Amino acid sequence: MSAVTAIPLRKPASAVPALGRTTLLLLAPGLLLLFVIFALPLLGLALESLKQYVPGRVGSATDAPLTLENYRELATPSFAGVLYETFKLSAAAALTGLLAAFPLAYCIVRRFSPRQRAACIGLLVMLVLLSMLVRTYALELAFGSVGIARPLLLALGISPTSRWYIETLVGAGLLHAIVPICTLTLLGTIQNIDPRLCDAAQSLGAPAWKAHLGITVPLALPGLVSAFLIAMTFAISAFVIPMVLGKGRVLFLSNTIYTRFSDVANYPSGAAVSIVMLVISLLALSLVSLVRPRKGAGS
Amino acid sequence: MNNAVEFHGISRRFGGVTAVDDVSFSIAAGETVALLGPSGCGKTTILRVIAGFERPDAGTVSIGGRNVTALKPYERNVGLLFQHYALFPHMTVAENIAYGLRHRGADKREIPDRVEAMLALVRLQGFGARRPHQLSGGQQQRVALARALATRPSLILLDEPLSALDAKLRQELRAELKQVLAAVNSTAMVVTHDQEEAMSLGERVFLMQSGRIVQVGTPSDVYGRPDTRFAADFMGRTNWIEAQVTRRETGFARATSRSGLSLMVPDCSSDAIDICVRPENIVLSAADAADPDGMANSAKGRILNVALLGATRQILVEMPGGQQLLVMQANRVGDGLDPGKAVRIGFPVAACITMPASNRAAPNASI
Amino acid sequence: MNGTAKRRSDQVLGGAMIAMLALVLAFLVTPLLVTCLLAFDARSFLGPLPPPALSLRWFEKLVSLDYVATGLATSLKIAVLTTVIDVLVGTAAAVALDRGSFRGRGLLMAAFLSPLIVPAVVIGFALLLFLSRIGIVDGFTRLLCGHVVITLPYVVRTVLASLTGRDRRLTEAALVLGATESQAFWTITLPLIRSGMVTGAVFAFAVSLDDVAVSMFLTDPTTYTLPVALVSNMRASFDLTIAAAAVLLMAVSALLILVLERFVGFDRLLGQGLFRS
Repeated sequence: MSAVTAIPLRKPASAVPALGRTTLLLLAPGLLLLFVIFALPLLGLALESLKQYVPGRVGSATDAPLTLENYRELATPSFAGVLYETFKLSAAAALTGLLAAFPLAYCIVRRFSPRQRAACIGLLVMLVLLSMLVRTYALELAFGSVGIARPLLLALGISPTSRWYIETLVGAGLLHAIVPICTLTLLGTIQNIDPRLCDAAQSLGAPAWKAHLGITVPLALPGLVSAFLIAMTFAISAFVIPMVLGKGRVLFLSNTIYTRFSDVANYPSGAAVSIVMLVISLLALSLVSLVRPRKGAGS
Repeated sequence: MNNAVEFHGISRRFGGVTAVDDVSFSIAAGETVALLGPSGCGKTTILRVIAGFERPDAGTVSIGGRNVTALKPYERNVGLLFQHYALFPHMTVAENIAYGLRHRGADKREIPDRVEAMLALVRLQGFGARRPHQLSGGQQQRVALARALATRPSLILLDEPLSALDAKLRQELRAELKQVLAAVNSTAMVVTHDQEEAMSLGERVFLMQSGRIVQVGTPSDVYGRPDTRFAADFMGRTNWIEAQVTRRETGFARATSRSGLSLMVPDCSSDAIDICVRPENIVLSAADAADPDGMANSAKGRILNVALLGATRQILVEMPGGQQLLVMQANRVGDGLDPGKAVRIGFPVAACITMPASNRAAPNASI
Repeated sequence: MNGTAKRRSDQVLGGAMIAMLALVLAFLVTPLLVTCLLAFDARSFLGPLPPPALSLRWFEKLVSLDYVATGLATSLKIAVLTTVIDVLVGTAAAVALDRGSFRGRGLLMAAFLSPLIVPAVVIGFALLLFLSRIGIVDGFTRLLCGHVVITLPYVVRTVLASLTGRDRRLTEAALVLGATESQAFWTITLPLIRSGMVTGAVFAFAVSLDDVAVSMFLTDPTTYTLPVALVSNMRASFDLTIAAAAVLLMAVSALLILVLERFVGFDRLLGQGLFRS
């Protein structure tokens, strides 16, 4: 067989072809939607955040001069307080949620019978699907200032209207949403850890808890970190939970944006807060992708 | 034209890698050939070119005398048995088999009969209503075969047809596959990396290496008269003896191996040679026995170790000078072939396959 | 540490863990049970548990409220329309994204999932500004836009996951058996990605039905969703009517769960890409 082929070779096809016509046709509606009702509005928002605010006017004028005033104005103790409150409660809820979710996920994967597992996963999925409103209302009803736990709280000397209790309640609201999300996220992580590794450690003489601390936890670390950041991003952008449970005394970034829109109609400032919040969320998510172990594209 | 398949000058590149490099062959109608090669040699690309999943960069493919190079898979009538069967999980066995008939425009009233006939052919009568996941691996393989054959394809391609099964089942199904293929008298190409599968199913074997077909022949040709070191190694275990021809006589040559053994080998043109001796062609006898009959090559050695494989044993013998020879011997009771024992090895001239030592640098064969 | 001490440490810590899990589950479930119980409370005020008598008075009051009926009707209309648009557009996009590799595929995929990472409030506010600027002031259209944006990623993600999980050779098998690309899609691919579509649809529906953060910005005086109406009312007064509404919303969640279990199964749900870390 000759090494030189008689028939001229076609130009070798590029390894990655350009978009086909069918593919483009299928993508078109989605891309159009995303462009018109997602990308353009976000661009508009960025633009709005640079417009000068005229008190008493709803929205900025089209020809308003560009300014960084709206951002500069955010460098105040009160805005820093909101930022701090948002982060403090979010981080606390995310950490606590992780602490609760990890053992729960571990038990579901390794300890429970298939029926218990299905029931538990069903409950968790239902809790994820559960309306935020129902969640917050139920917590308010159970632990709120006029809730049924009020006599108990008073007996314990806890004032249900104190600031720290309200903060705790907002944290509990976040936790209620975070625990199911984290647990379901961690199920996969734990499933991927070879249980024989822990058995091996125990057969070498380590007590179970030491084996877990030395083997299971480190191996699950990438999953734990990304579950933490998922919880964190969820909490930072929470809206209903701090609004209902915080009763105006605990404010998150989201609530500030809404207030600037509904109460003072300062659109440029609301836009600036939004952009700050967007940047924070993007930063958190780029952290997730940094920490996440590189896996193949497959499932 | 009585060639069912004509492959002419086919090349296919992926980026900078040439998967198939100017390959030509033909398959006669009713013939079963085996395309054999290590993974990554390009055999799967050839299968995909025939099926129509890949367009070759150069060359033409004809099936049944028709140039199909530019045709889509559904415009050719090629049957394909997938490696892991690719049965449609959401359809019953009968629906799977009927799928090709429906899409190839078969008469609707005839489909049920045809499905029944195919089920009978693969001995799965009564399984029509089951789902693929309710079947064993062997049964799934037979359903896949029935599905591929139902449309009476002019060519059936079998992609590693038995690799997903365990060793015992594989032997059973190999025989059955051969029977079914003979029963429908179809032209078939088995693509495999397993030389046993290739030799037992193919009337001819096409041996591939690095995108090219390096040897074509009957199974016994390719096994018994490999053209290259790669072919010899890929087709089965071999002993290699590097030697220098010292004298040529009529019909044979005398040679001395690097380790000092004198050998009689078939006549050959070059002086520096590699001699290939298959382990089953070497006979062991007691060390003090006379030269066994017909064994032109004979020498004393010592058994290094013995690996029992059931009916046979692999015995490694070390010759004076350090050359080691692998011997395949039937596992007979009480012949005392134990490690450490001195033995006499013997093999005839005809057992020696010689090739020029220059072949040695052939591309590595990953087996 | 000797064997006995090890065993004791394991027992103590094992017990502590069980206790903690019980506490977590109690924390998750108790408030919901309390709400269910109080929704049937016959008293006209919020009193200690258990209620001395049960009644349907809060449910009766709930259905008699105008804002609830209006809100619920709008919510359902929006949620159903949103889900339909999501499934059509999202499935098409996912199928396109799955069709082999092409330049910019990763970028497009990120684009389709990106509404998930932008805080809902930001999306709501941005849409409000944009839609007002281009003159769309109709509440229904605005709400629909907002809900489609925040729910589309769920369908794209779940369908994409079910497409990735499927065997590409099944399509090739169909082609070689004589089916054209589109026949292979309708007879093989679509039935196999159905579970992904159902999961995505259920999540899209649930998120749409529950959204407050986006909807708050996009309602108009006559078009508002149920959660928005309930939130405003919740802030105004603390009333057990809302407990009755919560029970109804829980029933919707339970119904969605049944749909998921029936059409997808919880085991496969985890493979649908929603809870992948």
